Amino acid sequence: MDAVATIHPGMLDSVFGVIDLGAVVLDHQRRVVLWNHWMSRHSGHEAGMVVGRDFFAVFPELRGKRLDNAVLQALRDNFPAVLSQTLHKAPIPLFANHAARTSGVRIQQAVAVTPLAVTGAARHCLIQVSDVSAAVHRERLLRDQALELRSQTFSDGLTGIANRRHFDLAMEKEQRRAKRSAIALTMLMIDIDFFKAYNDHYGHQQGDDTLIRVAGALAAMLQRPQDLIARYGGEEFVVILPDMDSASGARVAESLRQRIAQLAIPHAGAPGGHGSQRITVSIGVATQAPHQPVEVAALIGAADRALYTAKRHGRNQVVIENP
Amino acid sequence: MLELSELQHDALVEIFNIGVGQAARAMSEIVSEEVTMSVPSIRFLNRADAAAMLGHTDGQRVCGVSQHYEGAFTTEAILMFPEDKSLDIVRLMVGEAVPFTELSEMEQEAMSEIGNIILNSCVGTLANLFEHELRGSLPLYHLGSSEDILSATGGQADTVVLMLHIDFILETHQIHGYVAFILDLSALDDLQAQVDRFLAKIEGRG
Repeated sequence: MDAVATIHPGMLDSVFGVIDLGAVVLDHQRRVVLWNHWMSRHSGHEAGMVVGRDFFAVFPELRGKRLDNAVLQALRDNFPAVLSQTLHKAPIPLFANHAARTSGVRIQQAVAVTPLAVTGAARHCLIQVSDVSAAVHRERLLRDQALELRSQTFSDGLTGIANRRHFDLAMEKEQRRAKRSAIALTMLMIDIDFFKAYNDHYGHQQGDDTLIRVAGALAAMLQRPQDLIARYGGEEFVVILPDMDSASGARVAESLRQRIAQLAIPHAGAPGGHGSQRITVSIGVATQAPHQPVEVAALIGAADRALYTAKRHGRNQVVIENP
Repeated sequence: MLELSELQHDALVEIFNIGVGQAARAMSEIVSEEVTMSVPSIRFLNRADAAAMLGHTDGQRVCGVSQHYEGAFTTEAILMFPEDKSLDIVRLMVGEAVPFTELSEMEQEAMSEIGNIILNSCVGTLANLFEHELRGSLPLYHLGSSEDILSATGGQADTVVLMLHIDFILETHQIHGYVAFILDLSALDDLQAQVDRFLAKIEGRG
């Protein structure tokens, strides 16, 4: 009885026909010898139309490109080559279906070119094309989500400006840069005056709205791309002004203070007479001079002390104290 | 361990520089930006020393792409970068930020292609030197300790590693990596003989 499994004539052709990837065999002159059904379906070229033709005449846009070189290397040097989707996107004009062809959206491809030894003939090569569209789509989703998450980890959920963590990292970096390049570094510590009373009077929801408006107004005043404003906590903000001396820093602080007063946000909860009962801010300024680097904590401490001096001296003002 | 004369060393360095020069041109075409590569030096090491040299920075993981070649001689060729540098290379080649701490599946394929280009070019110039053809396998991607990668890709203990330092420059970034050829002792003798033949040919010509 015939129990031995046998390869029937034509079986390999059938396998070649049904495998779910593109397979093309080229002879030593780069002429198409085999062209499977997957290739016919996605390229729009039936095997009968392409067999015997130069592969690069079928796809002239591939001439001189990496695939051209990969085929050359396989046929001449006996070396295999891979073309990744990431570095080549979709080199061969292959389409999932008629609609994709009409709109010009190609299948995302990973291509492998392998030399093929053929008995009694000069070396051939096999081109395999895999459809990686699903993997590409999955990674794009992941990447978008990762970017979204990253921006969330570094921004304040309420006001949208940088958060405390972002400030800590940026401060560390700017302090090192100031030390290395021997440039000044100024920071501002900003606090909304009588904000607890504001929340008590207007409620937390309106308190939040006001925090958002103040943060937005402060951020809009900073002109240079390297300047950073962050929410330090509660109603407290912090500003990093790299390469800025104490006098310029104080001018920036004063314009920020004026800007907030100009918003003219009513504050009926403030003690009578204070800033005509509007929202105001107190600001402490501290500068690390060039050639005199200090610890980050010392710089923050100085700005903090300046802020408390401003509070003690009646609020709605700018005070400078250097470390 | 094999000692190369200064002349032999310089000849091999020159040969590999031709190889990586071709690879750099191929990569420049892919990214439409100038990519420069050079091989400043080569060394012969045993496998343990090679692993120690690669793993020198606090046992950091190494990203490797290997291909097996056989014919005139048999070798396992491996391109290796410290893991963080492999992220830099793919990010520079692809030109977009990589938000992941490891190469994604698609990025690993890109790294495999980069390895494929560099290894084929290096081995191609070696094959020219030997005036013999070699057959190559498709590239494999590895991530692990330098010991893991060097031992995953070769069998016997009495092998030597021909280690190339590679400088890869793209967009003002310079990245150091390595290409290791794991050779058995007979391949090593052949290599030295071929280098001498190459030198004799050059001298004869000059």
